[in-house]
Amino acid sequence: MATETQPDATTRESRRSGPLVALTRRIENLGETGFAYLLLTPVFLLLGTVALYPLLRTFELSLYQNLVGIGQAEFVGVENYVNLFTGESDRWLPGSTTFLPGVSVDGNFPFVHLDGLLRSALAVTLIFTLVSVFFETLIGFGQALVLDQEFRGRGWVRAAIIIPWAIPIVIQGMIFFLMFHPDTGFLTAYLAEWGIVAPTNTLNDTASALLIVTVGDIWKTSAFMALLILAGLQSIDRGLYDVAEVAGATKWQRFKLITFPLILPTLGIAILFRTIQAMRIYGLIDSVSSCTVVPSLSCMVVETFNNQRGLSAALAFVTAAIIGIAVMGVIYQQYKSGDI
Amino acid sequence: MATDPDSESNLGPLSRWTNRIITDQDARDRLYRGLFYAITVFFLVTTLFPFYWLLVLALTPNSEILSGGWDLPFLRPQGFNPAAFQEVFQQIPFHLYVLNSFILATLTTIIVLIIASLAGYVFGRLEFPGRGLLMLGILMISYFPPAAFLLPLFDAFVGNPIVAPFINVELFTPPRLVNTPGAMVLPFSALFLPLSIFILTTFYAQIPDGLEDAARVEGTTRLGALFRVIIPLSAPGVATAAVLTFISVYNEYFFSSIMSLQNEPQEWSPLVGGILSYQTQYTTEFNLMAAAAVIGVLPVVILVIIAQEKIVSGLTAGALKE
Repeated sequence: MATETQPDATTRESRRSGPLVALTRRIENLGETGFAYLLLTPVFLLLGTVALYPLLRTFELSLYQNLVGIGQAEFVGVENYVNLFTGESDRWLPGSTTFLPGVSVDGNFPFVHLDGLLRSALAVTLIFTLVSVFFETLIGFGQALVLDQEFRGRGWVRAAIIIPWAIPIVIQGMIFFLMFHPDTGFLTAYLAEWGIVAPTNTLNDTASALLIVTVGDIWKTSAFMALLILAGLQSIDRGLYDVAEVAGATKWQRFKLITFPLILPTLGIAILFRTIQAMRIYGLIDSVSSCTVVPSLSCMVVETFNNQRGLSAALAFVTAAIIGIAVMGVIYQQYKSGDI
Repeated sequence: MATDPDSESNLGPLSRWTNRIITDQDARDRLYRGLFYAITVFFLVTTLFPFYWLLVLALTPNSEILSGGWDLPFLRPQGFNPAAFQEVFQQIPFHLYVLNSFILATLTTIIVLIIASLAGYVFGRLEFPGRGLLMLGILMISYFPPAAFLLPLFDAFVGNPIVAPFINVELFTPPRLVNTPGAMVLPFSALFLPLSIFILTTFYAQIPDGLEDAARVEGTTRLGALFRVIIPLSAPGVATAAVLTFISVYNEYFFSSIMSLQNEPQEWSPLVGGILSYQTQYTTEFNLMAAAAVIGVLPVVILVIIAQEKIVSGLTAGALKE
């Protein structure tokens, strides 16, 4: 009959079969929660295998003494961590120079026995982080204040300021390698006269190389700070400035009483965010100088992971734990502002 | 005027000028504007000078670089040798390294966009139990240093069996991935996925509910509404995430240098390998190092100039609204 060969739309849908249609129908019948978790499956798969699994496994490895190629791994508990801080494992760590003298209080108090602070890795990482983030904040704030003005060519100035942020780390490293290499750099001789960097072998001198790496990082990432601060500046209600101007406030008073307090939360997040990134420093050091000259925490992990796996894993987790302190700060800020 | 003309003529030019600044609104504005331009020029010079330095080095013949006779303070190329830009490709196949970087970045971007679009939609538009906790988890993972993932990933990529943590059960033996794109694309995707998820979550959350509801009332399925209404509307957000992911992969150093064992372009060594081989193999060819760096930097400079707005909005959304 004619009515049976021309069924109406709803029944036609339900009568069609095949795996794809069946699947679609099952998805449609899922609840909102089920649907959400279904769409998140790829995220779980990717982050589970490439992030979560390695994290757990790294933690497990850090509890073992594992000399590659020599028999079965031996469970040693937290010994790898303890050895890091007592100087026992210093002989495995790269580099012969310790940047800072050992902070040995000695004997009676084993806890204060920070022999060269993980062979200076902790000191190098913290000094680099503090100095670079401090100057990046200062310069970034300045750049943001410039970009917040209306003027001709603002777009071009902004592009110019962002470009350093966008260039590959290896090229950033190459630039500073070429700028301060004693054979090519035009600056090295002058700076050496002032005693700022070593006159020869500049990039193999720990203090000089650390300074150069820090300058390189400030050059590249101030722009990132500037962008975050600029976003904060532009979210400030312009009406406030008009009110202040009518009330007779000077430019400085307007900055001190309106801009600064309102930008402070953004500034806090930006600083924590940069701190987290700065503590991972590896590539710039590897390409400007070398990991044995300027040992950062990540450097130590890379330098030891081939033959001292337990130690390397412990180092990775110490790095993660130190970064974790800053992360807690970020999460607390976000939690307070109600974003999560 | 606050001071009478007689006493003003006794003052030096500096004090006269200071007086004018204090009393005269116009003069003060001119001073502010002058200072503003001075600061702007200062920032421009400090950010762009290193690139000029690369160009100077690339164009100067290497013998001149080694003799080191720069005329300061106006640094300029000593001689003119554009052949360095050709020689870069003759010493090592530099273009292959750059091509590898492009392929790796494109592959990663595609994977990240597909996964992050779905996740961004879920986090931005659906309410379900565990949403806050999951976002927090993704945020936390994104803050771990790459070094914390290195050991097990390297183990797995050289073809050692995957062992379930803490229970010591061998699960399976993965294929040997080192020296293939997989060994880099996988960690890159995990590394840069969180940023894209947060950018897209913000974008999807801004799309009005009414549009999706209208599509559903019209009889479109839930998946249909997602693909026909929501995803097309989020195109600007997806483009932002794409640009940022591409740049991030092109710039990555940690896994790029470790997961490609020999720095050979046939084994998928990216830009990092190309630049570093100049540093390690041709240790005194400074003009070639500079020329290689100039070539390697060009793609991102062009991308920044074209996609400036997207980069700015994406970075601020990713960092501040996570």
